[in-house]
Amino acid sequence: MKVTIKEWNAVAAWRWDMPDDDVCGICRNPYDSTCSKCKFPGDECPLLLGECNHSFHMHCIFSWLRQESAQEKCPMCRQPFKSKSQEAASSPRTQTQTQTQTPINNNARRTPS
Amino acid sequence: MFATKRLGKELSKMQSGLPNGIELIKADDFKEWLLDIRVVDANPIYQGEVYRIKFMFSPNYPIEAPEVVFVQDESHPIPYHPHIYSNGIICLDLLDRTGWSPVHNVESVCISLQSMLTGNTKKERPPGDENFVRSNTQRPRDINFVFHDPHV
Repeated sequence: MKVTIKEWNAVAAWRWDMPDDDVCGICRNPYDSTCSKCKFPGDECPLLLGECNHSFHMHCIFSWLRQESAQEKCPMCRQPFKSKSQEAASSPRTQTQTQTQTPINNNARRTPS
Repeated sequence: MFATKRLGKELSKMQSGLPNGIELIKADDFKEWLLDIRVVDANPIYQGEVYRIKFMFSPNYPIEAPEVVFVQDESHPIPYHPHIYSNGIICLDLLDRTGWSPVHNVESVCISLQSMLTGNTKKERPPGDENFVRSNTQRPRDINFVFHDPHV
C-alpha cells in the first residue's frame, strides 16, 4: 500500500535554557513568559544574562538600568551589571538561547502535497 | 502596567501565606496597601504591640521603590527606634532611591522592618526627631537621608 501525505502540520515547543520554575526577579513572570509589557514571549522579549550570572527579561533589566538610582548595578548582587557577551547586548539572541530555541508558531509549516 | 501585574502576583502569594507576625490588612487597589507587623521575638521594647505599615506604589513599581511609612491610630503606635521618626517616617537604606532594588517586594520589606525592630535595643527616637516632625512636610521619597549606621 502506498500512502501519500497530502498535508502535515508541524508543531514545535520551545523554552529558554533556564531552570524550570524560575522567574524574572524584576517582574516575577516566568522566564518563558514575557516581561510585564510584552505580549509574545521569545525573540520579542528575550532574556539577558549578566556576567554575574543573574538573568532577567531584557526589557525588565533595561528599565531598571535606565534609572539613575540603579547605578548600573545588578538588582540581585549589586555588582556592575554587564551583559555576559557583548554580542548579546546588541542582539537579543545569545548563543545559549538560540540553541534551544525553535519557532514559536504552532501551525508552523505546511508543505504542499 | 508594570506595577499592576507585579503587585497582583505579590498579592496572591501573600494571600496564600505570610511569615509569622506579618498580616495583610488592606489591598483594595494597586496604589496603597496596609500591613500589620509584630515583633515575634521576646524584645521587651515591642511586647504586645502591633504596628501598621502603609505602602504607596508608583505605576513604575518595582523599578521605583515604594514609599513605606508607619501609620498611627488608636490601636497602632509608632514603634520606638533610632531610625523611625515619631511621624512614622523610616530611615532605611533599602527604602531609599540609592538602596532599593526591584527584586525586593512587599513581603521582603516587611521582613526587613520586622528584623530592624527585633534587633533594636534602644527605646528612643532619632536625634532631632521633634524638629524633624514639626517641620517636615516632605514625602519620604523627597527626603535625602544620610545612612551612617551599619548596625541595623
